[in-house]
Order: sequence, then structure tokens, then C-alpha cells
Amino acid sequence: MELLNPAALFGLLALPLLLLPYLIRRKPQRMIFSSLLLLLEAGDQASRRPWGKVHLPWIFFLQLLLLALLIFALSEPVFSVRPTSIAIVLDNSASMQTLEDGKTRFALAQEKARSVIAELAITGKIDLYLTTPRLEKLGATPLSPADAASAIGALDAFDLVEPPTDFDHVLNQMAREHKYERVYLLTDHPARGQSAVARVISIGQPKANLTVSGFDVQRSSLINTRLDATVAVTNFSNQDEKIRVAIKSSGNTAIASRELLVSAGKTAMTTFEGIADHPYYQAEIEARDALMLDNRRFAVAPLSLNLRILGISPRPKELASLKAIPGVQIDIIAPSEYEKADRSGYDLEIFHFATPAALPGNAALFVLPPQSSSLVDLTAPASNISVSNWREPHRLTRYVNFSLFRLTYARALKPQTPGEIIIESANGPLAFAVERQGLRYLTLGFDPLPYLGRENLPMSIFTLNFLDWFLASGVGSQATGEPIALGAIQPGDLITTPKGEKLSLKAGYNNFSGTFQQGIYQRSRGNQREWSARNLQDANESDLRAPTPIELHGSAASVAVTSVLFSFWPYLLIASLVLMLIEWFVNPRMAGWGVLSKRLGFGQPS
Amino acid sequence: MLPNPFTPAFLTQLETLRLRTRKEFLGSHPGSYSSPRRGTSLEFADYRRYSPGDDLRYLDWGIYARTDRLYVKIFREEVDLFAYVFIDASASMGFPSREAKFFPASHVALALCYVILANHDHVKLHLLQDESRASPFYRGRRRMTDCVSFATAAMPGGALDLAASLNDHLQRLRRPGKAILISDFLMPAAAYQKGLNLLRSFNLDIAAIQVLARQEVEPSFPNGSLVLVDSESQREITYRWNGNARRDYQARLAHHNLELKSFCHQSGIHYSLYVNDRDLSDFIFATLPAIGLFK
Repeated sequence: MELLNPAALFGLLALPLLLLPYLIRRKPQRMIFSSLLLLLEAGDQASRRPWGKVHLPWIFFLQLLLLALLIFALSEPVFSVRPTSIAIVLDNSASMQTLEDGKTRFALAQEKARSVIAELAITGKIDLYLTTPRLEKLGATPLSPADAASAIGALDAFDLVEPPTDFDHVLNQMAREHKYERVYLLTDHPARGQSAVARVISIGQPKANLTVSGFDVQRSSLINTRLDATVAVTNFSNQDEKIRVAIKSSGNTAIASRELLVSAGKTAMTTFEGIADHPYYQAEIEARDALMLDNRRFAVAPLSLNLRILGISPRPKELASLKAIPGVQIDIIAPSEYEKADRSGYDLEIFHFATPAALPGNAALFVLPPQSSSLVDLTAPASNISVSNWREPHRLTRYVNFSLFRLTYARALKPQTPGEIIIESANGPLAFAVERQGLRYLTLGFDPLPYLGRENLPMSIFTLNFLDWFLASGVGSQATGEPIALGAIQPGDLITTPKGEKLSLKAGYNNFSGTFQQGIYQRSRGNQREWSARNLQDANESDLRAPTPIELHGSAASVAVTSVLFSFWPYLLIASLVLMLIEWFVNPRMAGWGVLSKRLGFGQPS
Repeated sequence: MLPNPFTPAFLTQLETLRLRTRKEFLGSHPGSYSSPRRGTSLEFADYRRYSPGDDLRYLDWGIYARTDRLYVKIFREEVDLFAYVFIDASASMGFPSREAKFFPASHVALALCYVILANHDHVKLHLLQDESRASPFYRGRRRMTDCVSFATAAMPGGALDLAASLNDHLQRLRRPGKAILISDFLMPAAAYQKGLNLLRSFNLDIAAIQVLARQEVEPSFPNGSLVLVDSESQREITYRWNGNARRDYQARLAHHNLELKSFCHQSGIHYSLYVNDRDLSDFIFATLPAIGLFK
């Protein structure tokens, strides 16, 4: 037997309260009688004590039974039958790596899963699911209990953020579609409510945590060679913390460190200026908290100083003005030549009054595209448009004085895909940024060219900003799970994961999507090396203080699912009602006997 | 204004009744009750030797013919009756209400009064209370309204010491006669025995009518703890009332009534129990003749 709402049993603690009315002597009814001659011997003298002799009539025990039955019914008892077909959903997100008394939550979940399997019938069939990178079944065929137990042991948690999932709906849908008798979800989220089929087994307690919430290594400006590392540390606890932040080079050697005071619930930032040049870096905090994973972050050094740009424009003169910027190399072709051109080796493609047939394999800037693309749709052109709003702080808008930002011709954009609106006018967005598969795309509804330097300072600053933004593309930290763009693959190309696994790349794949671990992914092509950093970048995953509860209603669960639970609380409720009726009939007070006797004139209250 | 039960038919029926006495009393006027004196009634009493001056009409000529001696027949004297109706007007007679117990008791008393008055006998009503109150002697049917006024004006109240109260009334009695005591007799046996013995000592022919309310015979208090207050002494007791307590009380009441009845029987006192919900005419015309209160 199981209780779907065991908290109701706390109501049993209130049962002794039922004694109070019987313990406290009620003020007896005072009645005048003609003569007490015949009653004196049997009666006792009136007592003024509030606590009298305990007199428990049988109706008390009936009431006790009635209340106990009601409370028991509220706890929703069910008889369970050993299920034969279940699904076990293991939360393998990054937060499951949190330590609980020396063991990770994921290890505890594995143990719980094994104990769930042990309760299963020998002939039972089990499907295993993992929640990240997406809720997916492991293996095509159901597993036997023994196979499932060994398969669970081989699993490991990923350094991934848990995708937002409506578990109530998803679990019940799984049960319906696959005819599961029960679906167990083992997670570190608390659960509210239970359903007949879906069960949530919560693991772990709220904990304080410190996390490296940001780490960037960038040049101080587009034309500067100095490298600055910025580290942000967030304190998910209720007390201020003073911690040491260290920057380590690719050889795991500390190259800079300092102490940082982080207030409770706040984020503190520090910048290490002029750090030495290395292929990649690691920022680490010396914190002994429950989740070690987010105590460090990785970043790759920015690209070389020179920015190679492929310009596609029917007006090459305006694009050529970018050559005035130190470090910028630009090759300009006509839009008709784009398809035939060799685009490898370019860091950025600028489509100036041109639209490609498909999104390019490099970072790209679209300036007043003549046709709609998969990114944006276009509105009618307008003149003298003024900027009404802009994203701030943002790398694209920093130092730009938008009050001096004059646009003689512009077209508002209609975003067709999720992204960031950077600049807005009253007519609509004017700058729309998208980051897809590690590549940055920026669409402008106005023309920032030609680059006039000091003659048009706001526009020039904006131009330098977007070049800087594109330069930083792919070198900053990206979230785990974000694929690595591979470009052209040659035989012998390898990719080395943070765990040291070497995977050979096969031709035909554009991306490497197995970035489930935090760290540096190294791509090798002969003697050439390229590095990409992937980090756990989700504050919700690192904030272990109050995980979002999972709401289970279970109303839809029972539909078309063979339940292994036999609810008998309705029968208990009926029994309680019958008892209540009996009491109503037999208890003179409840039956209004006092009123009746008064009406008949028995006894005269004084 | 006569109370409800006293309809013309009921009164007509009452006129057919006559109190029966087991003692002979000296009356003041000729009546229908035997007197210890010899008189002129039709009922033969004895013979006596003729002495000069005797009325020759009473000479028994048959004896003279057989014995040649003159004897005169002596007849009983028939006189009127003096009746005393004692009504308990203590507080207990007001339970559960004056109308429910004291009125039925006074109706019994008034019915008896009417019987007496209809026979041209004398009746006097006595209220047994803290303060002794008694009516004057009434005679004749027309005084019935006085009886009613006296009885219905009484308000039951106070505690009653039966013997003391009776003694107070008896001190003022000059003529023996019939005494009818109407009470609930809810008092210790010693108390009512003392009172009844006092009546006996005054050479009265006694009848005791016990009047109880139905609520006293079958109390129906709500179950549970009760504080019961004695209507006369105001004494309080806490009582847990339930079925057992009810049965126990009824057994005690039955025993108490039996003890009273037994005492009355032993003492030559007519005894009868009247419960307030009983039909008055049935009690008057069936029960009281059965115990010998009426001829």
C-alpha cells in the first residue's frame, strides 16, 4: 500500500485534540427538579474544577474512528501492484554533479534508480531516458531489470543545462504513448503533487554555491595587442565570500591571481590587464562548495590582430573605406561572384546591399539587404529615421552617442528568428544580431559605410564596435552543448575533447555537436591547432538554493494508461460518511435531542 | 368561573357522590352522616327501657306484647360532615409548572369540595405552606366559587415541613371530621409519617391523595452532566443523567410510593396516586370510589 499524499498523516497528530471536549468539563445544564430526595444518594456534589473525571462515551470512539478514517482517506492510500513496464528518467544535467555527503546527486540518483528496479517484477521491462541534451530514450528496445541496472551504472552526468521541460505533461505523455505503468523521474528538483503514474524522486538539498559566471579574454580594442581577462564571480549564498580568483594558462600554470569579495547573492567582476599570450585560458576560484564544475571557466585567446573581411557589394568604394582601419584586410567582390568565390580564410563576410542564397559559413554582416532572408524581413524604406532605443550595455553600442546618430535612409527590420534587437527606431528594429552554431550574424537596416573616421564619429565608433564584436566571435566562452563549426574537413582531422578523447572527423559534417563537457575542445589538422571553449553558462543551474519545483497534477495520466494503483480512499470516505450518519442518529446532541426535550417540556432550565 | 374540567355534566356526576367516613363525628346540623349520638334517623341503634317522658311513638309494642315490658327504640343521629382539605402548596407542587401540577391537585381538591358542598356539608380548604392559610368553612353549592377562588389564587412556593404546617392548621380545628391531604409526598418517609400521625391524633378520618407530575414519574432530562436544583431547598447536585440513572430513579420512586401506600394502609388512611396527565373524571369516579373514599 502506498500513500499519494502522505503529508495528510500529520493530521493524526491532531487526533488527541478530540479528547479536549471530553476532558474539559462542560458547564452542566442547570435544571430545577421538584425534589432531589430520590436522587441525592446517586448524585455527586457539584465540582467547580475545569478538569473533571474523564468520561469517554462510546460515541467518542466512534468520532475517533471517523476522524482517523477521514485523515487516512485524505492521505490517498492506494494498493500498488508490481509494475511490469516502467520508464526511468534520469536528470543528467550539470547540477546533478553537486556533492551530497561525498556523493554526487547523479550517483545517488543511480542508486535510487537501482532500488526502483529492484522492486520491479523479474519479467519487467524498463526504458531509460536522460534529460539532457534533450529528453531522449537510451536504446531502441526495452531493457531487462539486470541490463537496466548495469546501463544506469555506466551513465554519467553532462556539463549541460537542463532544457526547460514541462515534466507533468511530458511524463504523462510518455506513459500514454508507451503504455508505461509508471514513469520515475530522478532529479534534484523538488516535486509538488503526485500522479498515479508519474513519480518524481527528488534528490539533494538546497545548497550555497559560488560560480565563475563569466570569463572573457579580449584585446583591449580592435587595434590593441594587449590582452585583458575579465572574470565574473557570482555568490549564490546568504553570506559574503572572499575568494581567490586565478587565471591559468593553457599549460595549467597560474599567470595571475587576486582576491575578490563577492557579496551575498551578487556578482563581482575583476579584470586582469595585460596577461600573457596563450592559446587558451582557465579562470578558477578556490571555493570548496558543492558544485565544483562551475568553479572554473575556459576561454580561448582572441584571433590574430588582422581581421580578414570578404566584402560583397555593388558599391565597392564604400566598403573599401574600411581599409582605413588598422588591422582590417578586405577583399571586395560583386554579388554575382559570391557563389564562385573561395570564402575560406575570411573572418567576416560583409554583404553590402546584397543577400546570399543561404546563411554563410562565416560570421556575416548584412547591410541593408535588398531581399528578405531567413533572419529578417524588410519593411518599406524611410528617411530621417531617428534611433529610439538601443541595447545597453552591449559591445555593439558602447561609446556610441545615439543622439548624434543620424540616419538619412533606413529600413526597419522584421526579425524572423530569435535573436537580439540591438538598435530600434519608432518604425522597428534597425540592428538585429543572431548567434547561430557559434557564428555571429548582424543585420543592419541602415548603412554605416563609408567609414569616415572622425568626420562621423558616432557611426565610426559603431563600425569599430561591430568589427570588434565580430573579432570576438568564437573566441569567447560558449555554452556547453553549442556545436563547434567545423568548416571544410580534411582526412586526418581530429578533435580532442576536454576528457582527452580523440575523435576523428568525417567529411560531410559541418558541426561537432558532442560538446557535453565543459573545457577546451582542440581541433587538429596536421600541425595546425584550433581551440574552442565550452562552459556551463546558466545561472539557474548554478543556483542551488531553491531549484524550481516540478508540478505534477496527474489528471491526464490515468487516461489510456493501465494504472497499477488501486485507490481505495473513496471507500474510506464513504465509510466515514456512514459513520457520520450513524453518529448523527445516535448522538442525542447532534440529533437535537436537547431542543426536542425542551419542546416537550422536560426539565426547566434555570 | 370554574376551571375547565368542571363542566355541567361533570358537576352533575359529582352530585351523585357522597364522602364516606369510617368514623362517627358530631355534626352541627342534621345531615347524612352517622353521629355517635342517638337521634331521629331511620337507622335503628338500640333499645332502652322506657322512662317517663319518652316519646310514646318509639315504644316497641311487639316486645311489650311478648315480655310485658316497655322498651323504646333508639335511632342513630345523622349529622352533617366537617371536611378539611389540605393542599400542599410548597414549591415542589409548582414543578414542572403551577398549571401542570398544582392545578391538577387543586382540581382534585375542588371536585371533592363540590361533592361535600353538594351534600350540604362543611368544607374548609387549607394551604400547606410556610405561611398557613385556610379558608373559612363553606357550605352549600353556591360556595363553590369561593372554593375555586381560594384554591386558584394560591401560588406554590417555599419549603414545606408537613408536620409543622399541619400542626399549625390543626391547632385551630374545633371539630373532628374528614381530612383529605393532597400532596406529592416527595419528602422523607419520617416527615410524611409524622404529619399523617398528627392528623390521626386529632381523630380525623384521613384520606391521602398523592399528586405527581408525569415528568416526576418518568423524568426525561437530556443525557449528560446536569446540575439539578431542589425546588424547595435550592440544594444543587451534579448528576450524570442517562438510561441507568433514569431506571434507578424510577425504582426509587416506586419504592417510595409503595412505602407511603403501605403506611397509609396500616394506619387506616385512604391512599391514592394521581398523575397529572390522567383524566380527572376517571380518577374521581373510578379510583376514589375504589379506595372507599365515596359511598
